[in-house]
Amino acid sequence: MKARALLGLLPLATYLSCLTVAPVASTLAMSATAPDVGITLEHFRRIVTDYQFGEAVINTLVITGIGLTLEMLLGLGAALALAGRPVGRRIFSILLLVPLGVPTIVSAAVMRTVFGTVGYLNEALLRLGAIRSPVDWTGERWLALVTVAVADAWKVTPLILLILLAGLQAIPGELYEAARTDGASGWRQFFAITLPLLKPAVTMALIVCGVDAFRIFALPLALVGRGLPVLSTYAYVEYLEYGNPHTAAARGVILLGMILVTVLAYLKLAGPEEVLR
Amino acid sequence: MRCAVVPILAALSCWALAPLYLMLKVSFSPPAEVMTAHPTFLPHGLTWDHWHALLATGQVLAPLAKSLTTATLVAMAAVLLAAPAAHSLARLPARWRYGILLGLFAFRMLPEVSIALPVAVVFLRWGLLDTVVGLAMGHLTLVLPVAAWILTATFLAIPREVEEAAALDGCSSWQTLWYVTIRLARPGLVVAGLLAWVFSWEEFILASYLTLGAKTMPLQVYYYLYQGNWFLTAAAATLMTVPVLLLTGMLQRHVQTALLTGAVR
Repeated sequence: MKARALLGLLPLATYLSCLTVAPVASTLAMSATAPDVGITLEHFRRIVTDYQFGEAVINTLVITGIGLTLEMLLGLGAALALAGRPVGRRIFSILLLVPLGVPTIVSAAVMRTVFGTVGYLNEALLRLGAIRSPVDWTGERWLALVTVAVADAWKVTPLILLILLAGLQAIPGELYEAARTDGASGWRQFFAITLPLLKPAVTMALIVCGVDAFRIFALPLALVGRGLPVLSTYAYVEYLEYGNPHTAAARGVILLGMILVTVLAYLKLAGPEEVLR
Repeated sequence: MRCAVVPILAALSCWALAPLYLMLKVSFSPPAEVMTAHPTFLPHGLTWDHWHALLATGQVLAPLAKSLTTATLVAMAAVLLAAPAAHSLARLPARWRYGILLGLFAFRMLPEVSIALPVAVVFLRWGLLDTVVGLAMGHLTLVLPVAAWILTATFLAIPREVEEAAALDGCSSWQTLWYVTIRLARPGLVVAGLLAWVFSWEEFILASYLTLGAKTMPLQVYYYLYQGNWFLTAAAATLMTVPVLLLTGMLQRHVQTALLTGAVR
């Protein structure tokens, strides 16, 4: 039985070994070698001394930090609201999930019309009297980072909502009944029941969306341009624009390393049993 | 409480829908309504000009065809490769299944750029750049782990007793697979296939590594965006969004259950 079961896994395992494991291994090898030289750490040395590298790291971290915070707040709010069985629950859950189906490049294109200097956000703010003159949302670096994070949150929040809603629905209703009988307030119920029992779903959402945010690519590229490097585009430009596969590989390895370290550190802090449930 | 949150949900829904409305509006608006210091929110005039212009560029049908064929190929190959694996996983002891699924999940964390780079270098040598097959092979690397996850949940939901009963009634193991298991798993197979289709349809990073000239739809949208033509961008973006929105709308319920309940256990 086991032997036959493993036979079914063979095609998938072969495919992923050849086209995922081998490429990643090859990226690792390329990053630490150079033609005619052999093993070298020269690529990494050059990256670390490159001023754009520090910028790319910080940009990626800032976008991830602001984006995840925003997505978790909005996603948790919406999930709690929907879990309370409000009026119009069905229609709201359909509408709120729409951005999930929008292609990333389309969301970037759409956000250009929203955040452009003569875009719709500026026009709305001007009409409301919130600003006097149009804001260049993608101009100055820090503002551009916030803009990218907000645009990313538009697309990612529905996914977090979905994960947290599933987590909320898995909490047995009897717990709340018991808490009410014992006279626990709504806030008390939230902090004593909802939040602790939601922790596995939160971990899942943070890991899935955090990894995606680290790998962010199309949005900063299409919304702001080359001027705002993140780690993915930093590796991409090096290969497709400058044709340096070895340095590009090293840049990819650094991104891979950052993802691994962050996820492992998070699991260490949150406790691995949270995911294993 | 049941009514108190409605304004909040309504506001969030507006935030979810407004950008898409604007995209649709721009694709049908006379330029004077958009290319001005004060663009209007409501449509005052409607025009098909940008859609005609999009067709007239002669650059959109080829990407459309390439994306369509690639996505279809990816959907079929994903189900063919992932279904046997998922069926096996569902019949393995829970500990093994759990370990393998977790391993597959780890594949999701690999950055696309570090998979795409060596693949592009090798495909260049093999003449697979710019081809549908090459791109589909690339997309499969990203799709297969997810497809295997969803399908494992599907096969887990089929009780082993049903297969055993079929065997008792004299079905060979192939007959059991064909007449019983696959029939019962069909909804899950369709969902996995459609998800793979959507994934490939909108994929951007691998497509840019594996393309020299024959663009896919996402690359074509990026090209118009890069040129700064808002109207062609809006029309092309709308064109590529419509099929995905229809599909994900249909899939929503299935995806939710498949992704978030069954597979995690």
